[in-house]
Amino acid sequence: MHRLGGVGIAAFDRQNQQKRSFAELSTEISQGQVDLLHAQLSQFRNALAHYAATHRDSIRDDPQFRHAFQRMCTSIGVDPLAGPRKGGWWAEMLNLGDWQYELGVQIVDVCVSTRERNGGLIEMGELVRLVSRLRGVKGGVITEDDIIRSIKTLKPLGTGYEVLDVGAGKKMVRSVPKQLDADQAVVLAIAQEEGGRVSEEMLVRRRGWTHERARAALENMLLRDGLCWLDEQDEEHGVAYWVPSAMHWDE
Amino acid sequence: MVMSMSSQTTPSGYLLPSIHSMPPFFTQQPNPVTQANVTENWTRLILSYARHRRLFYLRVEDAETKGNEWDEVLRNERINRGLKPSHLSFIMADMVSKNLAAYEPSKQTRTVLLYWRLPEEWAEALHDWASSAAQLNTILTFYEIIEPPVPSPLSGIPATLLRRAVNILTRTNRAQIIAVTDGEGVRFLPGNPAK
Repeated sequence: MHRLGGVGIAAFDRQNQQKRSFAELSTEISQGQVDLLHAQLSQFRNALAHYAATHRDSIRDDPQFRHAFQRMCTSIGVDPLAGPRKGGWWAEMLNLGDWQYELGVQIVDVCVSTRERNGGLIEMGELVRLVSRLRGVKGGVITEDDIIRSIKTLKPLGTGYEVLDVGAGKKMVRSVPKQLDADQAVVLAIAQEEGGRVSEEMLVRRRGWTHERARAALENMLLRDGLCWLDEQDEEHGVAYWVPSAMHWDE
Repeated sequence: MVMSMSSQTTPSGYLLPSIHSMPPFFTQQPNPVTQANVTENWTRLILSYARHRRLFYLRVEDAETKGNEWDEVLRNERINRGLKPSHLSFIMADMVSKNLAAYEPSKQTRTVLLYWRLPEEWAEALHDWASSAAQLNTILTFYEIIEPPVPSPLSGIPATLLRRAVNILTRTNRAQIIAVTDGEGVRFLPGNPAK
């Protein structure tokens, strides 16, 4: 009779050798898979690098393209700014990190330099306009979307920058850590509609507020928060309040 | 109503800043932080307009009645606003406290002499003019400096401001005050400005 593995010491050896062979084979196969994966990765990387190089200028200069790119990144779960390295791989390839941080600095610049005038509250359109002017023609067009994204990157700094929705599709950016109450939001919304001017009568007539409530909201904004300015020469009501952040400034 | 705050050029060719078309700019603000901003903007506007038109004096009355050389600035007819005399008086006091103006004459608070150039800067301008007009070592009366035959950077300078400038120069031996028949004169001497 013949056993496949044989008997005795010789059989033991053979078994061991088989084990070794299997192990070798397995290593070979795994190595092959790893190599393949590496090849695929490097191909992917090259493709991305190629993409980045080809589209970098479009991403930086064309707001629509940038928006589409950022949407794509979100849908595949990639944050173009995140990564183990400073700014992340994408950010590095695209210089998008620098771009975003630079925009952040410009937003802070505009918010701080207009703070004396507007009490730390600026209308989104006005902010886009002033930031664009700061960037000059070469900076390319920037949008509300870019500003909102940049403000998010400022969050870790704890500076209290926040985008507020004041209704009617209007957004404002607040750069001082102050709480706005509901009444102030109403005042801001009316100021937006009226080119900056608000009066006690407007709030009473349009919102059905009592005079006391209207006066309290306006006086708080005037005296406590410095968010509006007093006009004692108003032709209609004698006294009116002006919200500089809701006014359009040409300078 | 959409209102745009834009800069405007006056008939005298002065470019008013956009804040001048903002209605509450003409009201004294109850919030001290806001008022500091208003005062600063008015101060800058007053001094730069004074320089543009070579105006040396500003009076509280200039905000009380129309028809003076400050109309273009103290009023804005387009938005029907005007600076109130009490507000102007407040701004003037702030300017005096910052040495950007001086009550003139002293012991009253209704008129200021504006320092769109500080007396020290007038002193330098005066000495520069005397050197370039070859008037060193000759005796000039105050009148000859204020109303020179050829217009100079000093033309029309108030005598009191001229005296301050001359006094500054005498301290560094670059001028001497000399009595002449019809009042006072000044002799300019060469010399380097004391640093």
